[in-house]
Amino acid sequence: MNLDLTAEEQAFREEARTWLRENLPTEPRPPEGREMREFDLAWQRTLYEGGWAGINWPVEYGGRGLTDIQQMIWYEEFAKADPPFTLNNSCTFVGNLHGGPTLIACGDEEQKARHLPRILRGEEVWCQGFSEPGAGSDLASLTTRGVIDGDELVVTGQKTWTSYAHVADFQELLVRTNPSAPKHKGITWVICDMRSPGIEVREIRTMSHVTDFCEVFYDEVRIPLSNVVGGIDNGWRTAMSTLSFERGTAFMADQVELAATVERLIEEARVRTGPDGRRPVIADEEMARRLATARAEVAALRSMTIAGISRNARTGMPGPEGSMIRLFHGELHQRVYQLALDVIGADALRLTPVDGEGVWTGPYLQSFAYTIGGGTTDIQRNIVGERVLGLPRA
Amino acid sequence: MDLLPTEEQEEIVATVRAQLERDFDLHQLAAHDGSASVVDRDLWRRCAELGWFGLGLTEALGGVGYTLAEEALLFEQLGAHATPGPFLATVLGARLAALSGHAELTSSILDGSAIVALAEPHGDAEATAGEHVQGTFRVTDHGDADLVLVMAGDDASLVDADHVTAEPIRSLDQLVPIAVGTLSGPPVRCHLEGAASLWQRATVLVAAELAGIARATAEQSTQYAKDREQFGQPIGAFQAVKHRCADMAVRAEAATTLVRYAALAVLDGLPDASFHAHSARAVAANAAVTNAHTNVQNHGGIGFTWEHTAHRYVTRAQVRSRTLGDVRSHLAELLEQPAP
Repeated sequence: MNLDLTAEEQAFREEARTWLRENLPTEPRPPEGREMREFDLAWQRTLYEGGWAGINWPVEYGGRGLTDIQQMIWYEEFAKADPPFTLNNSCTFVGNLHGGPTLIACGDEEQKARHLPRILRGEEVWCQGFSEPGAGSDLASLTTRGVIDGDELVVTGQKTWTSYAHVADFQELLVRTNPSAPKHKGITWVICDMRSPGIEVREIRTMSHVTDFCEVFYDEVRIPLSNVVGGIDNGWRTAMSTLSFERGTAFMADQVELAATVERLIEEARVRTGPDGRRPVIADEEMARRLATARAEVAALRSMTIAGISRNARTGMPGPEGSMIRLFHGELHQRVYQLALDVIGADALRLTPVDGEGVWTGPYLQSFAYTIGGGTTDIQRNIVGERVLGLPRA
Repeated sequence: MDLLPTEEQEEIVATVRAQLERDFDLHQLAAHDGSASVVDRDLWRRCAELGWFGLGLTEALGGVGYTLAEEALLFEQLGAHATPGPFLATVLGARLAALSGHAELTSSILDGSAIVALAEPHGDAEATAGEHVQGTFRVTDHGDADLVLVMAGDDASLVDADHVTAEPIRSLDQLVPIAVGTLSGPPVRCHLEGAASLWQRATVLVAAELAGIARATAEQSTQYAKDREQFGQPIGAFQAVKHRCADMAVRAEAATTLVRYAALAVLDGLPDASFHAHSARAVAANAAVTNAHTNVQNHGGIGFTWEHTAHRYVTRAQVRSRTLGDVRSHLAELLEQPAP
């Protein structure tokens, strides 16, 4: 047990801080469409050229091969640099934190060589094709069919809740290749080229007014069998490796950013006039207590994150404990933005974008995603109950 | 950076746990319910021999030479076993005596021959410690004590228990004897003014005890959810129960990891040490109280009985979350800290 940073880690923090000061974009992120994609990819290229892409990816795949602690330090410095956008609100998220890590864990050399460098260099956008209208929490009941025809997989069906499908080049896609096998055993994980004939993408408007949520329809889409990752009918195992990354370290940026958000909120509470119309918000005892509680809880979130990193460092793999952090973070994230609306008083009635300087109501509406995406909090509680605590399944 | 105990620390925890399970069984201790003292002097000396009272004190000062990190692990176990007794006042009292250069007094506390009670202001905002001890105090574990550690404001003092007259109250926690008395300038054996570091350590150690309560109640509920069957299956198979257990585990994890972080921050003298100590105290108190409540609920009728230990955690969580400040006061202090 220690909080020591190695000389290398300390130097890394300094280096990150200096680089961010000089290279962080100052213009706001375009909210949608090609402009958004170009902005996100340009930032990814800037990161790559500065040596900040794939910080904890292995060196052989273009990463820097550094530790999760260094990855966390990077996120902390990013959050402290007052960025005009949040790190994970990017169409590069799936490539960097789902698709890429899954290829590293389960892909063959050709798949790795084809995609990993392009993901890091900001030349490829990935999206996720897991959920279906009839397969949400019960993901393994998915029915999108993949029929083997020669050296191709022919895919027909529908996926939904696919962020950035409308601007993506590739998709990590789960299809049912064996309908007669038990439901977890007949699924295949395959790389789908989003420009293939037979794919139709429709945008879905979310409660936070964002339109990068999509549904995707497949009508006899032909995918080469060489795009299968981890083997035919073995997709559940491949998907679980993606999900354990997602529940382990993929949301570290959000967790770290939340601490900066709480500090910004405390600043707001010091300068804004409170409910009595005279004193600052923070002079109100109830508001002060809620703000202090938020401070304490983000400190707990950070220590849970570090303990998670310590655990991963010993086992080499994110474990089911990551679900505890996801659960704690999702609900805390919502409490913080509910508190934010109470701090800003009548400004809570003014709708803002989800991203940008001094925005509160947009992120508040967006915060509902954090207890649903990547497995609802109910699913996270099942995972904690069954796989961490060893309670029986129903 | 690493927040998991080392192998050596795990060994310390295992030794402590074994001793607590053998000698501090809550069903045996029930014999002390409502007594003015819960300390068995032989047992107390055995704890002293194991080095528990000077665990975080340097060898030069007569201690074992470990740090606040190991002390916090000890207190986590004390919380987990709802162990009664003046452990906190003893550890802090030994440190106060050692830091103020009273070697003989220090060794009498460390070897278990002098028992130390804890006094803190009882509804008296003007109460003082330090060179001059004055005010109305709540004294915990007063019964058979030889010394009283008085903590008030930023200051701390050790006085002889003979000079402290206090009237026992009927205590919410029957294994934590509490008395209330007014002190007006008793002779002070030793004192520290501006004892901020002692307060920081106290904050971390109480938080550690509370985190232990949160952890133990989570584990007790999980075990019961596996063992107890209704409707033909273990109740832990039902989401209503399973999800409560999951939430308890998350609260325990949040409290435990933050307490460990805070212990290390205080140990390293980091600028945000107070920030983390107060945070840990608030998070651990909420986790302990909420988990202790939920634990009773998960056990149903048996959890409501005196015989079952579930209520021990409820009252201990309430007492410890009001020892040396409460959630409200620690949150207020937290908000005064600069951003980390």
